[in-house]
Amino acid sequence: MYKQEGIRKKHLATLEKIKENLEKLNEKIDVLIELRKVNEKELQKFPDSSLDVITLLNLPDHLRKTAVAICRNGRATAEEIADQTNRARAMESSYLNQLVIMGYLKKQRKGKKTCFYVERGNES
Amino acid sequence: MSKIVAVHSYKGGTGKTIMSVNLAATFAKQGKKVALFDLDFRAPSLFAILRCEKIQVWLNDYLNNNCDIDKILIDLSSRISGKGKLYVGLANPSIDAMRDISTKDRRWEMRALGHLLSLKNKLFDEQKFDYIIFDTSPGLQYSSMNAIVTADFVVVTTTGDCSDVNGTKRMISEFYKMFEKKTGIVINKILDDVARSNNAEYAKKIKETYNVPLLGVVPCFCEILKAEGKYLFPQDKSDHPFTNLLYEMADKIEKSNIN
Repeated sequence: MYKQEGIRKKHLATLEKIKENLEKLNEKIDVLIELRKVNEKELQKFPDSSLDVITLLNLPDHLRKTAVAICRNGRATAEEIADQTNRARAMESSYLNQLVIMGYLKKQRKGKKTCFYVERGNES
Repeated sequence: MSKIVAVHSYKGGTGKTIMSVNLAATFAKQGKKVALFDLDFRAPSLFAILRCEKIQVWLNDYLNNNCDIDKILIDLSSRISGKGKLYVGLANPSIDAMRDISTKDRRWEMRALGHLLSLKNKLFDEQKFDYIIFDTSPGLQYSSMNAIVTADFVVVTTTGDCSDVNGTKRMISEFYKMFEKKTGIVINKILDDVARSNNAEYAKKIKETYNVPLLGVVPCFCEILKAEGKYLFPQDKSDHPFTNLLYEMADKIEKSNIN
């Protein structure tokens, strides 16, 4: 009885680990997809990585909406941004990753969640 | 619901500062907790208009990350009777401070935008303010653009001057539209008798010209010019027609849905 319970727990832990790795893999695939969409030529349009108001003006409409939302929050997940913009989470995840690739945002994984944030550097 | 309101214009001299001060006083007179900020760092004027003395810390210090927002807020609630609260955050009028602001780079402006956006959390969520009013610099300078991006509602003040009309139209249709800003327009210093007598027709004409709702038409009152900012109209001139217009405008802003 105890032995069976132990095996069940072990299997559950393994499944959890697999799930976590699949989620990580998914995030990486998202980035790769965005990298294919945004070629080097496109990225050269955005040489300065400061997400200031001039940068916001130069962004295409769909990315500007996401960028303004993340500026308001400071730090947020794709789901939180999607709540604000009333767009699909997967779409926001894609746009956020695109902004990461452009150098305007950073991303950090905390447990099962991926947070996106504006790196504001040292104050002066 | 709490709101950040930016008072902006294409050209200078359209009455932004008088409008900002008196709108803030109107909301405070209605019992609200209001913070008014001078974001015109290159030509600060609230300091002189509100006759504040012995100021040690300025809005510049908050944006430079040298102090928290609490340190720069000056309590002017005693100038308003009733339960409302009126605070002000002033731009430093010294030449050194103006020169310092003009040398800031894009990363500083990015952080300044972050500091302004964080006011929502600091003043609305933590300190239960109802309104934040930004008095901005005219045109599209960094400080005014940051204010507009941060704001929930933009009050554009304009006059009948043809160059102002043209520039204001472009600013609304191009810049504000990019950030999906809720906007209302105030036609200020109007001399035209038609505008005073036929409000419905004039409002329709304004709506067609600017494609945004009309908040109010303010005739060129000599009393406003003579006052030089000395009066808070809702408090000191409660029966003046300008005060009535202010209450109407405040009502329209209050009812605007900002999502």
